[in-house]
Amino acid sequence: MTKYRKDIVTALFAFCFVIILNFILPRILPGDPIAYLTGFAEEDMTVKQYEYYEDALHLKAPLPEQFLHYLKSLGDGSLGYSYKKEATVRSLIFNRLGHTLQITLTSVCITSIIALVLGLSAGLSKSGSFDRAVTTSSVILNTVPTFMIGIVLLLFFAFHKKWFPYANLSSTGVRKGTVSFFLDRIWHLFLPVLTLVLAQLPSRFLLVRNLAANISEEKYVLYAKTRGLSRRTIKYHYIFPNIAGPFINLVGMSVGSALGGALVIENLFSINGMGTLLTDAVYSLDYPLIQGILFVTTAFMTLSIILSDGLCLVVNPKLRKKERTQ
Amino acid sequence: MKRRNLPLYLGLAILLLFVLVALVPSLFTSYSRKDMFPPWLGMSSEHFLGTNNLGYDIYTELIYGTGDTLFIGVTSSILSLVLGLAIGTLSSSESFVGSIFTSLTNMFVYLPKLVTLIVLSTFLGSSSFTLIALISAFGWVGTSRVVKGKIVHLSSAPFIENCTLLGYGKLHTVLHHYVRNLQDVIVSRFLAGATSCIMMESTLSFLGFGDLYHPTWGTMVNYAWKRGAMLRHAYNYLLAPGFAIMALSLSFYFLSLFFEKKQEEINL
Repeated sequence: MTKYRKDIVTALFAFCFVIILNFILPRILPGDPIAYLTGFAEEDMTVKQYEYYEDALHLKAPLPEQFLHYLKSLGDGSLGYSYKKEATVRSLIFNRLGHTLQITLTSVCITSIIALVLGLSAGLSKSGSFDRAVTTSSVILNTVPTFMIGIVLLLFFAFHKKWFPYANLSSTGVRKGTVSFFLDRIWHLFLPVLTLVLAQLPSRFLLVRNLAANISEEKYVLYAKTRGLSRRTIKYHYIFPNIAGPFINLVGMSVGSALGGALVIENLFSINGMGTLLTDAVYSLDYPLIQGILFVTTAFMTLSIILSDGLCLVVNPKLRKKERTQ
Repeated sequence: MKRRNLPLYLGLAILLLFVLVALVPSLFTSYSRKDMFPPWLGMSSEHFLGTNNLGYDIYTELIYGTGDTLFIGVTSSILSLVLGLAIGTLSSSESFVGSIFTSLTNMFVYLPKLVTLIVLSTFLGSSSFTLIALISAFGWVGTSRVVKGKIVHLSSAPFIENCTLLGYGKLHTVLHHYVRNLQDVIVSRFLAGATSCIMMESTLSFLGFGDLYHPTWGTMVNYAWKRGAMLRHAYNYLLAPGFAIMALSLSFYFLSLFFEKKQEEINL
């Protein structure tokens, strides 16, 4: 089994772990599972309500059967029912998912590109003045928690300078589907995406830089240098293809951590996404909704890992050849 | 010579200052936690950072929050280190048990850490100890991988082989050779872990999962945010805890920089 196939299997295991965790948590913790699964306190329910919920949640059935019912709710896509909001978890998350993904995916793309460009330049001339400046600043940036970056940007650009909006993703009164709607969206996305990029960039940059620095010590790079090839050619034609595999993996892994970061940032910028939904669910103790959000996040993370590993197999001729000969 | 030790002195100085603040907070502020003043006072010589909505002195809150922040950060990074060492050692064996623990480690890498932690802390309730347990339950992964790599590398090293050939017992080899060689990994992982645990704690506390009876710096930012410090222009209430977190993480980074340089010199 190649490394990438192994990675895909491990990611699927992680996915199963979350599913089982979601199933087990309300059932093994002290307290009535009904209280966890509905979010209502036991004392507030009438006997009739209690029996209704017990029946609706199949809690009288043996555990394996309960698990099957749980899997079914995942399989048909409803992801459970939020009794607090009286809607299926799917419909609640689905309304918000788009906003979260706009922030997450945009920032992952921007972060990856900047990390690649800066990392290659810094790695090729390790300990040069450029490398030192960028590495030092990313180390300092790395010590600032994501929410602090968001607060500082919000204070300066939205409250002090008033260049960017401080809440929501669209202005009121702009019609959907028009050019001005699109531009307005970009204007609103700017600060949240910038926050996430600044939060994610340092670690990604350092990884690319170290990868590139290792390759730069290879003899073919030295030879390319002595042939007088431009730095640009060396960076993108000699070093990049050799770090492409780990780089694609890095991008795949970024999606998961960026999703986590986006959940925090949405609360700062009052964006109607999964993050604010999660905070809402946490404060109202809407456990099914919280679990649904964990499920969807894990699903996205697993998907991005599988995609990136698959892409690694596609772009790496060495691996493809190995596969064929095996 | 002196330049080389600069990060060590700088890191130690900041860290010792924070430890001192944590141990004897009364030395740094003349107010107690619950002294009341008019709310939302600005910065002045009596109130370095002003007062909050309830009229508490913000600087005093910050001073008294140091202990809890340091305690949670350091305890959870020690626990993650111990867990990481144990699981790393177990997964380095070539047996079935080893492969199970290796898969476990790899699986944890792929979990969305922050969201899982949020879900778990909603279910388990928020107290300092739950926070420590949860952060360390997810903080051991990096350490375990590094420890495994180091042990596998050591096992095939000539001097370990030599020990076996010379007839030394397993205990002797482990105590005098494995442990000695793992020391630098342990130090560097502890320092890196402390930073990431402090970051994790502050993020969770900011989201409102902190222990309300022992407010850390993250909890302070959460309060400031919820109580409308932004609209009141009480920016210092929002920013000061952030700078404290940054300074503390930097101190750990400086220390790790020193040990990294030292290790590089030994390896040369």
